[in-house]
Order: sequence, then C-alpha cells, then structure tokens
Amino acid sequence: MIRLVIAFAVALMLTACGGGGGSTATRSGSTGSSSSSGGGTTTPAVDNYATVTFDAGPAALANGSPAYTAFNEPYVSVTICAPGSTSNCQTIDHVILDTGSVGLRIINSVISPTLLSALPAERDTSGNSVGECYKYVNSYAFGSVRQADFSIGGEKVADMPFQAIGDTGTFAAVPASCSSGGGDAITTAYSFGANGIIGVGTTATDCGYICQQGYDSGAGYYDCPNSGCSTIIARAASSAAPFQQLPNPVAAFATDNNGTVLDLPAVAAAGVTTLTGKVYFGIGTQSNNALGSAKVLPLTTSSSSLGPGFLTATYKGTALTQSFLDSGSNFYYFIDADLPICTQSGLSVFYCPTAATPLSPTLTATNGATASGAFTLYNPSTTTSASANVAPGLAVNPTLVTPPLPFQNSFDFGVPFFFGHKVYTAIEGRTAGGIAGPYFAF
Amino acid sequence: MGKARRVCLGIAIGAIAGPLTLSSSAVAGLGAKAPSIQLDRAQLGASLHAVPRGGHTTYAMALPNGAAVKEFANAAGAVFAVTWSGPGKPDLRALLGSHFPALQAASRVRDPRFRRVPPQVHQSDLVIQTGGHMGYFWGVAYIPSLAPAGFSVADLK
Repeated sequence: MIRLVIAFAVALMLTACGGGGGSTATRSGSTGSSSSSGGGTTTPAVDNYATVTFDAGPAALANGSPAYTAFNEPYVSVTICAPGSTSNCQTIDHVILDTGSVGLRIINSVISPTLLSALPAERDTSGNSVGECYKYVNSYAFGSVRQADFSIGGEKVADMPFQAIGDTGTFAAVPASCSSGGGDAITTAYSFGANGIIGVGTTATDCGYICQQGYDSGAGYYDCPNSGCSTIIARAASSAAPFQQLPNPVAAFATDNNGTVLDLPAVAAAGVTTLTGKVYFGIGTQSNNALGSAKVLPLTTSSSSLGPGFLTATYKGTALTQSFLDSGSNFYYFIDADLPICTQSGLSVFYCPTAATPLSPTLTATNGATASGAFTLYNPSTTTSASANVAPGLAVNPTLVTPPLPFQNSFDFGVPFFFGHKVYTAIEGRTAGGIAGPYFAF
Repeated sequence: MGKARRVCLGIAIGAIAGPLTLSSSAVAGLGAKAPSIQLDRAQLGASLHAVPRGGHTTYAMALPNGAAVKEFANAAGAVFAVTWSGPGKPDLRALLGSHFPALQAASRVRDPRFRRVPPQVHQSDLVIQTGGHMGYFWGVAYIPSLAPAGFSVADLK
C-alpha cells in the first residue's frame, strides 16, 4: 500500500536519499561532467542539462512535525551567487522542476545569511524594494524579489530576479490583496515540500502583459517601502537584462533558450524509492535536444481568453479546453464520477480502481493536431509499494463536491505522464526546432 | 439545486445600477443583500452589468486584469452564488464575505503532498469549488437554500 496512507502519524525513516544532500541531487552548476550527447558527434557548447531526481524530499520534511516524505516531486539543484561573485554562492538542492509555472522561487530560510545579505532587492521607480505575490491553486507565496547570478548545469543568467519566499523585515507582512485569493501561505520548505521551485513553463516571464499594466495575473508585484508592501505596481515583461518581472530562467539563457526537454525513465507500477532523469535546456539547439519525431502540440498563448499554455483533452466524450502537461503536478488530476474513490484514510482524494484501468484521453492542439494521452490508472492502496517515493498512474479527483459543479474544464497530466516520455515544452515567442512556441511535444 | 425562498425585503434591483451610498462596514459578498454588490464592484475596481433572468439577476463584473466575476441574486436580493474566472484570483474575502473562513478552513486540512488539490467546501448549504493553473483560476460558491426555485447549477455557467 502506498505510503501516503500512513500519513503523518508515523515518522518515516531513512529512505536512501532522505537527507538534504541526496547523493544524486547535488550536481553543482559549476561542475559538469562530459556530456552524453545521445550518439551524436558534436560536443555541446555548454552543458545544457541537469539531473532530475525524485526522492523523499529535503531534510526539512523528515525533520518537521509531523514528518513526511515527498511523492512524485522532480527535483533539481540550482546555484545562486551574489551578483558578480564566484565565491559567495550556494547550491540549493530539492528545487522542484516545474513545467507548469514560470520563475525561480526559493524559500528564504534555506539561503545562507551571508549570501542573502549580498542579494540586492529589485527597486521600483520610487526607489523602494519590490515584493511579489505568486498564487498557486491551493496556496500563495509572498516575498522579496532579489537578484542573483543564477546557474543550472552549464547555463547561466547574471542578475536574474527570483522570489525569496517568506522573506522577513519589510516583506514579513503579506499584503491583504495577496492573501485574499485564499489558500495557505507558503513560508517554509516543510510547507512547500521543497527548498524552491524553478518554473520553466510556456511563457517567457511569470506575468507578462497584465503586470506590465499594473495588474495581478496570479503573479503580482508590490511597492515595498520600509513600512511594508501594499500597492501593486507595474513591472515590465523582459526576459533579458534589465529584468523586472521574474523571467523563465530558460528564456533568459544566452543560448538553449527556447524550451526544455524533460527525459524521465518509465517507472514500474509498484513505484521506486528514487528515480533519476535529465532535463535538457533548449530544443533543437544541440545534439542532445533534437525534436526528432516527437508530436508537436501548439498551445494557447498569453493573449488567449483561456489563459496561456493550454490544449484540449477529450476525455470520455467531453472536451476540456484548459488541459495541460505539468511536471509540477505530482499526480493526474481530473474528474470522472464513474471511477471509485479510495476509502482508506489518507487516500480519500485518489481514485482506487478495482483493477489497473487503461484510460485514453485524446489531446488536441490549437492547430488541430492530435496525440494520444493514454495511460493506465493504478490503485494506490493495492498497487503502489509502501516504500515508493515515485509511482506512475495515480490520479486525484480535484473536487469531492458531488455532483461536481459544471466548471472543471481541465485534465492535468501531471508528472506520471512524463515517465517513459520525452516531453518538450517550448516557450511562447520562441522558435524551437523550427516550430513556433508555445507547444508541448512528446 | 436549492428551492428555498427568502423573505423579500423589498430591495429594488433597478437601484443597483445607480449610485449607492453604503457604509464601508456593510456586509458584502456571498449571502449578503444585492446592494453589497456595489461594494464588491468598488473593491474589485470592476465594471458592472446587470442581467435579470427568470427568478434571479446576474451581475457580471469585468475586472481590470481581464478576469470575470458574476454574482447571482435571488428575487429577494440575496446573493446566492458567486463565480470567478480568468487571470489571478479576485478578492475572495470580499466576494465570499462571511463564508471566506470556510474556504480557508478547507484549505488548511491539506496534506502538503496534495498541494495542487484546490480548496473546496461541500456542506449541506454551502458549496465552493475552485480550480485553475498558472494564468487562469476559477471558482464557484453557492448557497443552495438561497437559490430561486428551479435554479440549476448549470445556470451558473
């Protein structure tokens, strides 16, 4: 039975990589072994990849009360340095690689005080510090916008703004307009399940036009005088220096800046304790990130009334026009009133099919191209091993309201869909492999 | 599908479009009387468009960031449903009024591993369903007992 059912009551101990420095998760941005270029003869100009590791999560989860373990979280390590410095640096492990959001966000308390004090806050036109509120479906993160020299693999961005979640002092009080969207505040690695998140989704900045006009799109920027942050301000959408909004770090790279390829192995039904894969930066820019024969599925753009980064999933005859692939979703999320919900305590949001159940949603892109989104749904209470930190085919019903109100319009293909697929995420406004982004391909 | 009716307190729906002077401490949002919609409109900086329809009136607000909010008032002028969709999340403290704490309570029971499970409330007389993704969030909050007779949740779309 999946470990989730054990829930918080039991301190779960000592899986292989439960500590903060899991052995496979600490590839520093400045090291760099020889590249594995998939049989090509070209040596990449830079190391355009990083290791992606699934494990029990950062130490804060095991050390918290109650202790818990991460599940299906794709972690990378990133390095941030004081601007211009090559010594005042920190490599931060257990940062979620998220193809469903944009921007680098790090829990403030995991940054060493020496480094933090050398990371300048962005300034607005009044000369005040800039803060940011970023809203997730079930939570919000507030903090300062600071600049750092950022690197992952061999890729670098100088003076890149990131969000220091849960920053103190001027940023300690969350503005009412941030918390009034509802949900819980993310303030710690424990509450977030990670030391940070690197959003490498389909847009070049985390807000775009809406913040440029001084409004909030789910990302909102604040004027933060010493008295605190309350007024939302306009910030330009530039994915190159000088930045204002948080850029998609990939879009801000000097090269390999049109998207990513997330290459994760297939996972057996029972799951595994650790899983290692790779994320390649760029699409069609080096011998290791060619588009090949992947099926390209163009997506909605920032100017769509539906929002950016969506395609249509047709599931059991219903077209869900705001569907997406998202490595930052640790399960599939969709509504099917005909599938049984688990009855076990701690699993009550999961589907528990009586037997492994093949499902076959179809994906339709904005240009009419289609691809199969088929997968097999498993029962977390009978199929998933108790020791697994990673498992395929698990799905959550996002609403337990019965009957569901007629608003759910998405099928979220979370990270289990990426297992055994090479998934390409191309950025809006960039051409990737000769094809205009944004698109998903696999 | 609630069928209960509330005693009509005689608030003229037509007055909504005109200027209203209400104390800023007036209760607004879900479950409040329709004039509170003007408070919500002001709080959200939105434009407002009222459409009478059968046993209820729909107040559609267009927010500056492009999002849409609708409040549904019954014949007695009570707001029995609120929906929102578009970029960002609107001020749910204002829109849900006295029911905002119920949404927050629903959010807090979450296991961190399910942080993508949207907050939701499923009580006998309060249903809140939410969802979304970067760049587009949506939700509906509904008080079945305040809904006009014959009202279907499909009408909330």
